[in-house]
Amino acid sequence: MWAPVSVSGSLKTKTGWGMLQFRADPGTGTGLVSGIAAGTMTETQLRGTIMTAYFIRRLLLIVPTFIGITILVFVITRFVPGGPIERIIAQARQMQMAGYGSGPAAPGSQTQPLSDEQLRTLKEYYGFDKPVLASYFSWLYKVLQGDLGVSTRYYDPVWDMIKERIPISLYFGILSLVIVYGVCIPLGIAKAVRHKSGFDNVSSALIFIGYAVPGWVVGVFLLVLLASHWEIFPLGGLVSEQFEDFSLWQKIADLAWHTVLPLTSYVLGSFAVMTFLMKNTLMDNLAADYVRTAMAKGLSFRAAVFRHALRNSLIPMATSFGNNISVILSGSFLIEKVFNIDGMGLLGYESVVERDYPVVMGILVISALLFMIGNILSDLCVALVDPRVKFE
Amino acid sequence: MLRLNPLTLKKIRRFRSIRRGYYSLIVLVVMIVLSLGAELLVNKRALVVCYKDRLYFPTYGDMIPGRTFGLDYDYETDYRQLKKIFARRNEGNWVLMPPIPYDPYENDLRKDDFPPFAPSLASRHFLGTDAVGRDIAARLIYGFRIAIFFSLGLLVINYLIGVAVGCAMGYWAGAFDLVFQRLIEIWSNVPFLYVIIIISSIVVPTFWILILIMALFGWMGMTWTMRTMTYKEKARDYVLAAKALGAGDLRIIFRHVIPNTVAVIVTFAPFSISGGIVALTSLDYLGFGLPPPTPSWGELLQQGWANLDAWWISASVVGAMTVTLLTVTFIGEAIREAFDPRMHTIYE
Repeated sequence: MWAPVSVSGSLKTKTGWGMLQFRADPGTGTGLVSGIAAGTMTETQLRGTIMTAYFIRRLLLIVPTFIGITILVFVITRFVPGGPIERIIAQARQMQMAGYGSGPAAPGSQTQPLSDEQLRTLKEYYGFDKPVLASYFSWLYKVLQGDLGVSTRYYDPVWDMIKERIPISLYFGILSLVIVYGVCIPLGIAKAVRHKSGFDNVSSALIFIGYAVPGWVVGVFLLVLLASHWEIFPLGGLVSEQFEDFSLWQKIADLAWHTVLPLTSYVLGSFAVMTFLMKNTLMDNLAADYVRTAMAKGLSFRAAVFRHALRNSLIPMATSFGNNISVILSGSFLIEKVFNIDGMGLLGYESVVERDYPVVMGILVISALLFMIGNILSDLCVALVDPRVKFE
Repeated sequence: MLRLNPLTLKKIRRFRSIRRGYYSLIVLVVMIVLSLGAELLVNKRALVVCYKDRLYFPTYGDMIPGRTFGLDYDYETDYRQLKKIFARRNEGNWVLMPPIPYDPYENDLRKDDFPPFAPSLASRHFLGTDAVGRDIAARLIYGFRIAIFFSLGLLVINYLIGVAVGCAMGYWAGAFDLVFQRLIEIWSNVPFLYVIIIISSIVVPTFWILILIMALFGWMGMTWTMRTMTYKEKARDYVLAAKALGAGDLRIIFRHVIPNTVAVIVTFAPFSISGGIVALTSLDYLGFGLPPPTPSWGELLQQGWANLDAWWISASVVGAMTVTLLTVTFIGEAIREAFDPRMHTIYE
């Protein structure tokens, strides 16, 4: 959500990935070999120890990065015009102006509408009276105790606001995960097996269209076509107005009816990367010698694919699996905005636009933690499924 | 003349043999060239005016006041009106208008109706008008020109930074690498949109300011790729050989490492271009991109979203985006395949 616009197209920064490197040739791990030669450990045990040490180091690195991220954004929030105090001053000025009537250049517009005393109270209330670092650390202290503060716009606790949105984002996140993996793996296999066939070419072209056009643009188009022009689907929102009065089945049907269009927008863009990853790795593996051996000893093509090639081809799919935990909680605010869905994405976007700093910081805390843990989980997934990965 | 080595020539030949990508490249180049001459295709100024046996070419250059053509005003001539007047008087004068005789900024208002107007051949609004009566086709074409050059500019800056920093990280490794890794990790978590909104609340973003802001958050992808590539190249024997011959760090980087990573850079470029177009469109859609009334696809999409009944607005933008992004993606796919052909064994 925080990097909603992927600036570099398919170049997704995957921090942390570079530390894990595939060993080109499984036989040249001199470090491991010498460890075994020393005679105390088996290779698996040694690898386990190195792996544990490596991931503990990675987990510890979260702390400085987390502080770096939050301090940077915290400092920005302090030095930017348009914060909560300025908003209150502007509101007070407006009320004053209204009181003076619409005379030209009312004297109130030049002077400060609030007294120094009021300003000091406000600054104290929002923690703007202390130096930046001091108020940062008092914020951090509160966060460590599980207190994310109170929204400066709605005066609700930030955690409650976030908690309310999580089920919505989870709903879409899990559904799209299931659909993406459920469609891409079989589709990738089918495309690899029928490489260069008509089916392969047509599905490639369709997938490319979904990949090229961003999901929210597709969303706008679907709205115009299917919701406004043909009136098949609703114009937005997650449930109908009479939702409370519905029976259980009606509720489910209503929810599903509202889900179709946004879910389509969510899912379309993800098909391309996953499907082609699946297809290409499977084809690489099909061309590998061990599959040829399997075929040569008389195994059927089907068995060669499903018993041998497929297992190895699922490894690259695992590389991105860990990052899914943050996908679940973020969701595209553009799609949520188009379809008027009150999820985490929209909350983050609105808090940024309205300068609701505690909410901005609260979401940042959660998304940054999920992002970093997701990266480590991804690496862990890869290390677990592929014994050839070495750690540096 | 640039001397291409046989390997590059082979790659270019392979690219041309991939029909889908090759034709997409031709289509895209034609689109860019046409958009450069957009003033000749989409303009409220006439291409040629023949008045009293003299030819005028008003497209480029200063505006020509109406009095020049025998009208009774000193401001710029209304050529669409002039054409009607000449046709009525039938004195041998004539006006040749561009195919789309509207300016992207001009509101074509009518007395008896309110915009948006549906597409019509008679009024020469081939794709209709937007909610304030501006011609959609005109805004699409000018918007395309801005978007494509925006993403080209963004690409150049991103790649310059990315190649420089990424190479340095990969080549010198160690503490320098570690520090930059943390920095990237921190920087990539800063809410990108947040900074854009803040900056655009202080200054009105111009074309170049917006590119710089986007580059501030866009350099990391290429940096990361270059870092990995440099690591790989550095470990290879030819670098060791160059070192043994006494080549310095800079020579190795510029003469050996970078030329060997060009393939990767070129492969990523088309995807960066489509990414840039999408980024600009998204920002414009939200209202944080280039200030109005700059012609922009994002702003048109916003209008299409707000006026769901006027289906032609969203339909034309989505159509234009699909065509553009699809050609760019096809080019990218073809380049990738040309540079890294996957020759698979296929079981019959």
